[in-house]
Amino acid sequence: MFNFLHMCGLAAEATLSTTASWDLYETIQALFQAPSYHLVFEAALILWIVGLLFTKSYSSKVNKLTLTDKEKADLVEEWQPEPLVPNVPEDDPELINIRTRIVDSKLGKYVTLNGQKCLNMASLNFLAMVGKEVIEEEAVKSLKKYGVGACGPRGFYGTVDVHLEEEEKLAQFMGTEEAIVYSYGFATIASAIPAYSKRGDIIFCDEGVCFAIQKGIQASRSKVKMFRHNDTADLERLLTLHAEEERKDVKKARVTRKFLIVEGLYVNYGDICPLPKLMELKWKYKLRLFMDESISFGTLGKTGRGVTEHFNVPIDDVDFISASLENALGSFGGFGCGKSYVIDHQRLSGLGYCFSASTPPMLSQAAIVALDLLKNTPDMVDRLHANSAYLHEKLSRVPGLRVVGDTVSPVLHLQLAESDRKRASAMATLRCIVQMAEEEGVALVVASYLEKDERHLPPPSIRLAVNCDLDEKEMDRVVEVIDHACLASSNS
Amino acid sequence: MNVGVAHSEPNPNTSYFNSRGIWLTYVIVVVILHYVCLSLPFLTVGMAWTLTSLLHNLIMFVILHLEKGTPFETSDQGRSRFLTAWEQIDSGTQFSASRKFLTVVPIVLFFLASFYTKYDPYHFVVNTVSLLSVLLPKLPMFHGVRIFGINKY
Repeated sequence: MFNFLHMCGLAAEATLSTTASWDLYETIQALFQAPSYHLVFEAALILWIVGLLFTKSYSSKVNKLTLTDKEKADLVEEWQPEPLVPNVPEDDPELINIRTRIVDSKLGKYVTLNGQKCLNMASLNFLAMVGKEVIEEEAVKSLKKYGVGACGPRGFYGTVDVHLEEEEKLAQFMGTEEAIVYSYGFATIASAIPAYSKRGDIIFCDEGVCFAIQKGIQASRSKVKMFRHNDTADLERLLTLHAEEERKDVKKARVTRKFLIVEGLYVNYGDICPLPKLMELKWKYKLRLFMDESISFGTLGKTGRGVTEHFNVPIDDVDFISASLENALGSFGGFGCGKSYVIDHQRLSGLGYCFSASTPPMLSQAAIVALDLLKNTPDMVDRLHANSAYLHEKLSRVPGLRVVGDTVSPVLHLQLAESDRKRASAMATLRCIVQMAEEEGVALVVASYLEKDERHLPPPSIRLAVNCDLDEKEMDRVVEVIDHACLASSNS
Repeated sequence: MNVGVAHSEPNPNTSYFNSRGIWLTYVIVVVILHYVCLSLPFLTVGMAWTLTSLLHNLIMFVILHLEKGTPFETSDQGRSRFLTAWEQIDSGTQFSASRKFLTVVPIVLFFLASFYTKYDPYHFVVNTVSLLSVLLPKLPMFHGVRIFGINKY
């Protein structure tokens, strides 16, 4: 064997006469003089490779649940199919509402409800933008120019110059570097939260936040810590607890993003978040502050720029502000604004932005015109503040009712004064009041929630929305009607 | 992972080693790496092989066993933020074809390096250490294990 290789080597040398082949010969010779530990190690590796070839693959999930046949049979036995459409009883008040309270007019200051003209105190049409002729004309012009819409997402043939103009104007109005427009108000904050907050991150969130925020924090898959509504002491307690945890595991803390998510003006409570105190906590505990201004945009602050203007806090200190264009501006969609560095991230990560068709240009145009109106006639906001304060003051004198919310808030919640009532019974009384008010020509609405899905169900209430165009006579009429209805319902 | 069309994986890191032609591509890249080492002046053939094996194992260690998470935004809200690329392959399935391939490559390089360095003890030590550094983390018992919490987050 050895001689054979030797011969081979010589033959190779003879034919090629290169040094490479001579090297090869010498190397092969070295194989036979290799130290034994080396050969043992190589043999072990070869055995390992052979073993690998015959190893079957398996999933590495450690806690894999294995069920016996009996357990499986039991589970199959236990399973009850759920109906595709839930069994709602025919006399469910929400169902009756949908079937019997029908509007056949614009949702302006007055609506035609079941054929009767009513003063609209239910729509969140704070600045009376719905049905404004200037806006409608501009929207129709835009419709004639662009058609209904591209039916494509913004990043995929859906962007029209109107969208860019809308974003620019919103950013300019809010005084931020950039704004991003979504086609649906609900999706704005619900997409923005999971774009930044991921698994392993931590969210501190107010208990009273609206449903859109709740869906956003759920979609983020982050750890959520809820603090009591507008209770900064409770928030600070959670933060100090978390700071202790962080001290125990500094490495983990270094890669964990912390978010503080609040609403500017809570739609379910009508009160304003304590922003100055929240800012203090934000700097102290290094939180990223997200604020949803769906209600407060266009209604709070001297010129309607929202909670930051109301408290005189620099807007750049809030990391991200989102707002719906569906309330004060009476259009459709929503927007987020902040630093370009923050906003730009959503153009590829905000799911509602990436995967949803862009807003029809006419609705964007309507929002632009409404925004210009708001900018040029700041007295609308003043009137709204005056009306809110007036209604708040008058309604708080109505016996049997309690007005919840800040006086400056255009959303008022009327709860029953006796707070020990069962939810169903309180709801029935409130519905009765709403029904009686409707007969008197005032359209009201009971705040309705998806009761099973809410994290913290707000108490039953009538949600009143103030409109800047209401005059004192109309407001007095509203108070009078509610007063009567309340009295009548308590007597019955 | 599909070639030429959009993939449909929430995390492409789990499947790119099953793409068509990737094993061949891998081998070609290693061969090119070896030729680059061979072309360096003053290096013997044995040194070039040890260098190839060292560089390969170093790159493999960094890419597969040190780097965590994904280089792209995934739609699963960062499920694999704290998993190394090796742990993500085939969603954690042990002894899958890709894993076997990736285990065999450094061993073959070790054989070649040993052969061309004429079983020199110094080269043996260097090559063995680098081989073990990429073989041990591949063992199923070290899946998700962070010794002393190193590289945990």
